Amino acid sequence: MTVERGQRLTLEHVTKRFRREGQSEVAAVNDVTLSVEPGELLTLLGPSGCGKTTTLRMVAGFEQPDAGRIYIGADDVTELMVYRRSIGFVFQNYALFPHLTVFENVAYGLRVRRLPEATIHARVSQVLDLVGLPGYERRFPNQLSGGEQQRVAVARAVVVEPQLLLFDEPLSNLDAKLRVQMRAELSRLQRQLAITTVYVTHDQEEAMAISDRIAVMRQGTLAQVGTAEELYRAPRSTFVAQFIGRVNLVESRVLARSGGRVAVALWDASLSVPGGDGYAVGQRLSLVLRPESLALVAESAKPAEGEVVVPGIVRSRTFLGEKVEYAVEAAGALLQVVAYDPTRRGVVEVGARVGVACDVTAVRVLGAEP
Amino acid sequence: MRNGCVTVGVALLLITGLAGPATAQTINVYTAWPESLSQPIFKAYTAKTGVQVNFIRLSTGELVARATAEKNNPRADVIWGAPGDGFAAAKEAGILEPYRPPTWDRLAAELKDREAYYTAVAKNTLVFMSNAKLLKEKGLKPPASWNDLLDAAYKGQIQTADARTSGTALTRILSIYYAFGRDEDKAFDYQKKLNANVQVYTKSGGGCTIPAALGQAIVCIAHLPDAMEAKKKGYDMVVTFPKEGVAAVIEAVALVKGAKNRDAATKFIDWTFSRDMQDLLDKNQVYMLPTLPGASVEPSVQSLMKEAKLLPVDLDWVGKNRKRLVERWVNEVIKE
Amino acid sequence: MKRDPVLAPAVLVVWGAVALFVLYPLGRLLVLTFWNGGPSLDAVRGLAGDWTHRAALVNSLLLAALVGVAGTALGLAFALLAVRANLPRWIAHGLDAVVLLPLISPPFTAAIALIFALGPRGLISYHVFGLTRVNIYGLWGTLLSETLTYFPIAYLTLKAVLANVDPNLEDSAFSLGARRWRVFRTVTLRLATPGVANAFLLVSAASLADFATPLILGGTKFPVLPTQAFLQITGLYDMRGGAALCFLLLVPALAIFAGQRWFTERRGGSFVTVTGKVGAATRVKTLSPAAVAALAVVCGLVVALVLVCYLLIFAASIVRGLGADNSLSLTHYAHVFSGGLKAVRDTLVIAVICMPVGGLFAVVLGFLVSRTQFPGRRMLEFAAMMNYALPGTIVGIAYLVAFNDAPLALTGTAFILVVCYVFRYSLAGTRATSAVLAQIDPSIEEASASLGARRDLTFRRVVLPLVRPALLAGMTVLFIRAMTAISATIFLVSLDWSLVTVRILEGITNLELGQASAFSVLVIVLVYLAVAVASLTMRRLNAGSLGQAGTLLGG
Repeated sequence: MTVERGQRLTLEHVTKRFRREGQSEVAAVNDVTLSVEPGELLTLLGPSGCGKTTTLRMVAGFEQPDAGRIYIGADDVTELMVYRRSIGFVFQNYALFPHLTVFENVAYGLRVRRLPEATIHARVSQVLDLVGLPGYERRFPNQLSGGEQQRVAVARAVVVEPQLLLFDEPLSNLDAKLRVQMRAELSRLQRQLAITTVYVTHDQEEAMAISDRIAVMRQGTLAQVGTAEELYRAPRSTFVAQFIGRVNLVESRVLARSGGRVAVALWDASLSVPGGDGYAVGQRLSLVLRPESLALVAESAKPAEGEVVVPGIVRSRTFLGEKVEYAVEAAGALLQVVAYDPTRRGVVEVGARVGVACDVTAVRVLGAEP
Repeated sequence: MRNGCVTVGVALLLITGLAGPATAQTINVYTAWPESLSQPIFKAYTAKTGVQVNFIRLSTGELVARATAEKNNPRADVIWGAPGDGFAAAKEAGILEPYRPPTWDRLAAELKDREAYYTAVAKNTLVFMSNAKLLKEKGLKPPASWNDLLDAAYKGQIQTADARTSGTALTRILSIYYAFGRDEDKAFDYQKKLNANVQVYTKSGGGCTIPAALGQAIVCIAHLPDAMEAKKKGYDMVVTFPKEGVAAVIEAVALVKGAKNRDAATKFIDWTFSRDMQDLLDKNQVYMLPTLPGASVEPSVQSLMKEAKLLPVDLDWVGKNRKRLVERWVNEVIKE
Repeated sequence: MKRDPVLAPAVLVVWGAVALFVLYPLGRLLVLTFWNGGPSLDAVRGLAGDWTHRAALVNSLLLAALVGVAGTALGLAFALLAVRANLPRWIAHGLDAVVLLPLISPPFTAAIALIFALGPRGLISYHVFGLTRVNIYGLWGTLLSETLTYFPIAYLTLKAVLANVDPNLEDSAFSLGARRWRVFRTVTLRLATPGVANAFLLVSAASLADFATPLILGGTKFPVLPTQAFLQITGLYDMRGGAALCFLLLVPALAIFAGQRWFTERRGGSFVTVTGKVGAATRVKTLSPAAVAALAVVCGLVVALVLVCYLLIFAASIVRGLGADNSLSLTHYAHVFSGGLKAVRDTLVIAVICMPVGGLFAVVLGFLVSRTQFPGRRMLEFAAMMNYALPGTIVGIAYLVAFNDAPLALTGTAFILVVCYVFRYSLAGTRATSAVLAQIDPSIEEASASLGARRDLTFRRVVLPLVRPALLAGMTVLFIRAMTAISATIFLVSLDWSLVTVRILEGITNLELGQASAFSVLVIVLVYLAVAVASLTMRRLNAGSLGQAGTLLGG
């Protein structure tokens, strides 16, 4: 199953409105325009209710958009019934047919397409090998573990060689360790098959782990689309900054501007960050400080080269094995700081007076270009 | 598959539906007679002629109602064996066709409708049947008069038919009417008093027989055949007649207008009025008197009927006033 | 949905059937009542003037309310005993078996037996207790008979409700210091309240529609609406009056039904919680030994009474003439299998035809109503239920009026009997289908669609196999009802097709009590067998809860 199978998925101004009881209409998906490159895995990421699942279901054909068009390749599939689209859909709860064996589950789509028996047998065996379940043909879904059911669901979806693969939070019913293991497998499988894939999840770590690109959604619209790195380094809105990873947003203002860089105030110091020409002096903005770019130093320590320090008091400490997360009250705000390898490097107690040192090269302006 | 099932289902239904209508060798009969009485007679006809008699037993009221409802598409060919007043109502409703069997002229005038819409196949009568044991216990003599039943000793101990469902009840109302010299108000006055002693009005004419036989009531006012059946079953019953008289009840037969098997039906009616059938009333112990002169009669029945004072009934008058009489009974007699 | 090529024709066919066999007859009935050359209220006005009809309305409502209360109370007592008293298994099963009896027999068997037992000179009232003034006829007799006949409905409903009250909730209450009675009152009963209300409505509705019991026990002093309608037509030949009475009956019947639906539809804020993880083997503690004893006495008496009634029926079937000639004899059974054979055969044929037709109809309807969207879906659901909600008398008369002549002359055929049963008794199958489907995530059907299967293929390959238990449940209910129904079908029997229940009623009125009893025993045995077979099959299909009598008979 290494045939090149990549079609471009395009959504243009897709909108879906729902009317809730007694209230006015609400746009679950509002004017979304998006495209997924052939063979790419794009994740729709966002909190619950943001419209990601609705968007996915419209791509599948389970829901009909109220406005906009959807294209698979060059074909306008907006009006096409589900069973006519060439898709593979993996459900959150797997949706395996309980009354059919694993073999029959996987073979279902092939039987619908009336392929010859021999072909069906061959393909089913092949795909079960692919997902790591050889010999499972005779079992029933209720005899399988969660992870195994997941794989059967995936096998069933890919065996029909769809043009588009759609995942609806497929890992959220698995426990944490299994989730990590499975996402690696899904990622590997998708790359091997090179099917254009749309993946929906609310777990940003998962999204970052497997996606080629991530589309962050909020309240029905796209907040930002980009690679994991782009989203992490250069979030364009408070929402995205706070949704991807953990962040400290510090209020600041422009002090001076010159040659593509701006001087901004950070605590008592000023530093120079990439900025561009769109800023005016005195303009208020937010600075993005990731916890890992902050470190705890002795209270009286002098700032090193390329560092800005602010005094503070440790308010909470959470030991997580490989790291410790601190919340430090400094400069009138609660800063999140993370320190790695605490077993070797030591841990700071709650209530200690410390200095928080910030590496200026890691500071970004919120909304600026990466 | 669903479509297949639906097709099969529909086919099944059509087949069974079409299997409904009778073949030429069948006639369809509505009768009010209990099966134990009617079935042997119909079987005899089948044995003689090979024609199947398809019948259904309904109470008089249901029978007339059903036939009337089917007016435009009658299912029955013959209404065979029901009290005359039912036929009077049927005639009013226009569902009968006049027909004279060959022996028609030999039948007495009071045994047939003037215009031959219906003809009496047997004579029946109302009786008082009493539980012998209970009578003895209470030191009562068997009731010999309508007024006897007003006695306080009978309070809650009388059962008889409900006029809304049973032809027998109408016979009772008519009997009282004629017994009181056709004074309707006096008759209904009596019935109001009688009502106080009635335990329950039964759905069918003979419905009080077993309760009386079992001792749940002392007296049951019903037809003679019911009483004789009870005695035959071994129950200890005493049969008496009110001295003021009872209405002469005729059990009649009529041809349904628009009958689908008209020829077979008329042949059946002809047979009904032949010696062949009329003798069966005696042979089968039906306990009703035959109407054809010369037919054999069971001696005990004959002597019993001799005791009765049978009052003649004007069936045409009954036909016109039936509904009013029943409504009057409902509104005056049984009202709380 | 608009573009779904399979849904539209399916919906049209179902709508067509429902319109033809539910709405059209009722419409004809409406026309008969309210149209006399022009729109007219004469028929209804005429009713208001007649004291028996006014009395009938009052009596019907009064009786329904009383039977509802008594039946629910009794049902609750039995349910508590069954669920909360830790009875030994054989007693629990025995209880179930006895309580089932009234539900699987023709509805008036209790009435007949009571006349034997408690009537004047009754075997119990007179021969055992020496009472002579007991009057079994009228309100009290009818109330007793109907309560005995219908309390099992409440029992089955409440048993399910009580069994579903999460014991963890009661345990929390105990842990907070509440004592038994308080927990029962404030937690158990409160959670069960909708179930109790539902049971009350079910029993009341059954009483309201009961035609045969009041016919036998009501006497003239206690008329009720269904019996009055029947008598108006068959006694006074007044179709219009009968139809008008039907409408008097329609209003409370529909009101009760609407109320009952409302209780079962409340999913939001559901009172009955069914959690997947039940506290490990919590000892159910809410019945004290004293309470158990009291309940046992009450229930024991009722069980004894029910058993006596059925023993009387059985006895009557094997002696020559109960009360007079008590010699053993099989003549009655001989008659059942000779003269009565036609009725037995006809009834079985009809019942067997009903099963697949009605069963499939119920499943399709259940699927359409609970899994698809189309305009008028709620209306279709409601319309399809109407023949069930309405008392049988109304349906029977409506069918008589509508199908007696052109354009569709169907009376007298097996077709109309089958149709009558299918549209009256498919609701259980539809509900069972909805219940089963509710446990199946809709994503399964979506998965099938995503793999390329069209709607009908999905129905055939995925839905139908999964709702097999519901199909079976629906078919069993149809069989049972077809064997025991009387109030609608008494108007529809004909020369060609006779039914056992009608023969029983005739037998009673003709005093062929031995025969009537023999027929009754036969029906009871056949139905019992059907229920047993169905339950066993369901257990094998792993759908135990559906196979329980509750679903099969309570609905």
